Amino acid sequence: MGFIKNYNFLIRKLHSLTGLIPIGVFLLEHLITNSFALGGPEAYNQRVEAFQNIPFLVWIEIIFIAIPLAFHTILGLYYVYLAQNNVLQYKYYRNYMFYLQRVTAIVTFVYVAYHAYTARIGRAFAGIEISYEFMNNILSQPLFFIIYFIGLLAAVFHFSNGLYTFAISWGITIGPKAQKTMQTICTILFIILTAIGTAGLIGLAA
Amino acid sequence: MAEFIHLKIKRQNGPNESPRWEEFKVPYKPNMNVVSVLMEIRKNPVNAQGQKTTPVTWDCSCLEEVCGACTMIINGNVRQACSALIDKMPSQVITLEPLSKFPVIRDLKVDRSVLFEHLKKVKAWINIDGTFDLGPGPRVPEKERRWMYEISRCMTCGCCYEACPNFNARSSFIGPAPLAQVLRFNNHPTGAMDKEARLETIMGDGGITDCGNAQNCIEACPKKIPLTTAIAKLNRDTTLYSIGRWFNR
Amino acid sequence: MSKNKIIVVGGGLAGLMAVIKAAEAGVEVEAFSLVPFKRSHSLCAQGGINAALNTKGENDSIQQHFEDTIVGGDFLANQTPVKGLVEAAPGLIYAFDRMGVMFNRTPEGLIDLRLFGGVKNRRTAFAGATTGQQLLYALDEQVRKWIAKGKVKEYIGWEFLSAVVDDEGICRGIVAQDLNSMEIRAFRADAVILATGGAGMIYGKSTNSVICTGSAAGAVYRQGVPFANGEFVQFHPTAMPGDDKLRLMSEASRGEGGRIWTYKDGKPWYFLEEWYPAYGNLVPRDIASRAIYKVCVEMGLGIDGKNQVYLDLTHKDPEFLEVRLGGILEIYRNFYGEDPVKVPMKIFPAPHYFMGGIYVDWNHMTPIPGLFAAGECDYMYHGANRLGANSLLSAAYSGYICGPNAVKYIKGLQKSAEDISQKVFDRELNRQAGIFEAIYRMDGTENPYTIHEELGETMITHVGVVRYDKNLKLADEKIQELMERYKRINVNDTGRWANDVVPFVNQLWNMLELARVITLGALNRNESRGSHYKPEYPDRNDEEWLKTTKAYWTESGPRFEYEDVDISLLKPRARKYD
Repeated sequence: MGFIKNYNFLIRKLHSLTGLIPIGVFLLEHLITNSFALGGPEAYNQRVEAFQNIPFLVWIEIIFIAIPLAFHTILGLYYVYLAQNNVLQYKYYRNYMFYLQRVTAIVTFVYVAYHAYTARIGRAFAGIEISYEFMNNILSQPLFFIIYFIGLLAAVFHFSNGLYTFAISWGITIGPKAQKTMQTICTILFIILTAIGTAGLIGLAA
Repeated sequence: MAEFIHLKIKRQNGPNESPRWEEFKVPYKPNMNVVSVLMEIRKNPVNAQGQKTTPVTWDCSCLEEVCGACTMIINGNVRQACSALIDKMPSQVITLEPLSKFPVIRDLKVDRSVLFEHLKKVKAWINIDGTFDLGPGPRVPEKERRWMYEISRCMTCGCCYEACPNFNARSSFIGPAPLAQVLRFNNHPTGAMDKEARLETIMGDGGITDCGNAQNCIEACPKKIPLTTAIAKLNRDTTLYSIGRWFNR
Repeated sequence: MSKNKIIVVGGGLAGLMAVIKAAEAGVEVEAFSLVPFKRSHSLCAQGGINAALNTKGENDSIQQHFEDTIVGGDFLANQTPVKGLVEAAPGLIYAFDRMGVMFNRTPEGLIDLRLFGGVKNRRTAFAGATTGQQLLYALDEQVRKWIAKGKVKEYIGWEFLSAVVDDEGICRGIVAQDLNSMEIRAFRADAVILATGGAGMIYGKSTNSVICTGSAAGAVYRQGVPFANGEFVQFHPTAMPGDDKLRLMSEASRGEGGRIWTYKDGKPWYFLEEWYPAYGNLVPRDIASRAIYKVCVEMGLGIDGKNQVYLDLTHKDPEFLEVRLGGILEIYRNFYGEDPVKVPMKIFPAPHYFMGGIYVDWNHMTPIPGLFAAGECDYMYHGANRLGANSLLSAAYSGYICGPNAVKYIKGLQKSAEDISQKVFDRELNRQAGIFEAIYRMDGTENPYTIHEELGETMITHVGVVRYDKNLKLADEKIQELMERYKRINVNDTGRWANDVVPFVNQLWNMLELARVITLGALNRNESRGSHYKPEYPDRNDEEWLKTTKAYWTESGPRFEYEDVDISLLKPRARKYD
């Protein structure tokens, strides 16, 4: 804990940064890739294969995704614990967003843990290649479709709203008007990303 | 308006005692506020059940919302009791509770000394050599003065702390009010000479990065001090300062 | 001599300035305050602080500031100390400026000045309409710096009960009470500075904060320190009528162009402008208050038949008003629900400031050596009427000189407080503890807050803007009746933790004692001077009454002595504003 206290500024800044780069970037890539499933199993499988041909993929995944994600998650859960939510008392818009950011943090954490295990880690140990068929098996079941959809909403919200607070935390948007504009941009981003992600889910479920 | 003002007050005899609710009925008069209602109770300390009780303990001083003393939770929201006008209260029953983020002393009176400790921590002052006459201070553009004046109206009442989800017993967050003071003193021509020391302080444990951008502070502030703008500006200052510091090692 | 220690009681402008000056001189300071310094009553001062900076091309001068102050005080102020006050004023403003006070600025970034009552030159530096707040905060910040350095120790939430006076009659410390633990303790000090403010609560409702009971002044009065010029109580002409408090609407509103009027024959009547063409709305406070009183009470021309007239700012530019008077506009909106930018404010005179107070010499020391007084609780600078924006000045200045004076006094001491026998402290401690034990046991039928309310009503009705001998006698009888009823108080709360009632009962007795000083002082003074106006004696009478009133406590009520006023610098002349 002493370490966390002494390097509080650096750690908090890294926590904020990792949410955007690389995790946010990966999320965008992932949603866009998945949306190719709308074009049919072949289009999707092609994209997936292209990725799987990247040299040292496992190392890239560990260094640029797994470690930052673990860092962001573990600290993030601690930060969730530190907050004492009071939306019932102070019903302000930003307070709801603050609360939802923490709720989606936990939902996303549970979902990603499940998703990463079924779709990547467990599969890697079992030696099964990811494919349209594999995902379709899961998503064609309504219950799992709903679970994936909730996971998608949580992750996309956490990212979009996180972008709004990122802009404040790094001193990019300062005045109330700038922050308001960023709010609008983030809301639109949330809608667009939800649409892209849903497209992918529908494509994979079909 | 009803004949009586119905109050529900969360009372507590001392820091380690358990709280209890007591109800009061105070004869209605026009233009009352929560402080004047509490003053009526002490003239006749009898509760709604007609039992004799002790007068309610609470803090107040100026009664014009400048001193910040009478801050409490009224109908669930933090505000000053003196400016809580009864005629504008929507609810039938008015509930009064002590601030929840600070140790209760008795009834509605709490210990807010931590607020002043935080001001000390961030060196919220201009380090003058002495009060002797050295002639005028630095010239200040009126435009600059106006927003610095906005921040210097902070009465350290604790509303922003009370509403902030990230200030609580678990966290060591320094709170919104002193952060705004850092900005105000860092931007004064003389105050800027201690800028680095202040930035270093708020980059430490419980510092500015512990703000979670719930932005309740600006909603709760009775003086509408631009706290969120100040925090965002300081985020920029600390970020740039930390990068500069790293390269200047 | 072991170590030098000064105790300062009171965390307002005067007290904090004294703390800083003593700390700068290298003395150990203990600062006592009822409330955190930031919540002291100085913050209710709105309009500004006077200094002849002469930056407006109006040939203002220290001499003019001096004359305005002396004439404004109707020649009752000792002139040599006032001279010191006005001479130090510019330097003080600059010191505040260097502390970072956000004074309004001219386009060149210099301190802006505005007009105030009783003067013709712009001389008042201001920070919006919360100048007292801004000055107090600046000193609070400086004191916090000294606390962080470990040179000043603060005792917040402690109430001064009495001075500890040794067998030689020298003050060696104080007895104070922690208002949470109710602990009563004696503290040693080589000098004690009282900066405990005014006593508006004697009038029940006033512009003062509820902590302004004057109890500390009453306590030392009972220990033998004379209370001077008690009968001179300033009524501020423009306060919002209210049920719990009379909220001040700064004189700056008139300084910035506000006009006072009421309806006569169906038309707006600007009576101040008509009666006092030379100064118009900016006549001194005693004159404006009497005029409003006359219009409402004697002529029956108050707005809506009530005791109120209009203070009108609606002809001014809203942005101009917001920048220069924002603080009071906010108070009026919050508490009255109308916007003064659009609708004229309704106002009436309210008890505001005690020109009188603890008697001190020109070094601010009381007749008890080692016991000093500074700020509103002393009587020094304002004579029979205080000019607007001179109070922040006198508070800051008296602290500014009182601190060093106390340090100088200590240097000349034969014995340190540390050398004084513990018995001396125990004696006073036990006396106070005895008083409080007696209060805890009060189980009669009277409610202390009701007695206080009746005291306020009595004072405001009979010892107000206009005073008649018959009414003053009635008031004194009523106060004595309240003193009798006091003995039958029921405290309703015998708790030994954060008990609000018991300290209040103690304060109440001090208020009752001082109420008699005010009332009998007014009854005795058969003339009209400044704020003290008796229609039966409508003129100032320099021959008999150009004298400072000194009230001494006796078992049977105040005994009065009178002392000549220092008029060495300006010969008394008629006071005219028309």
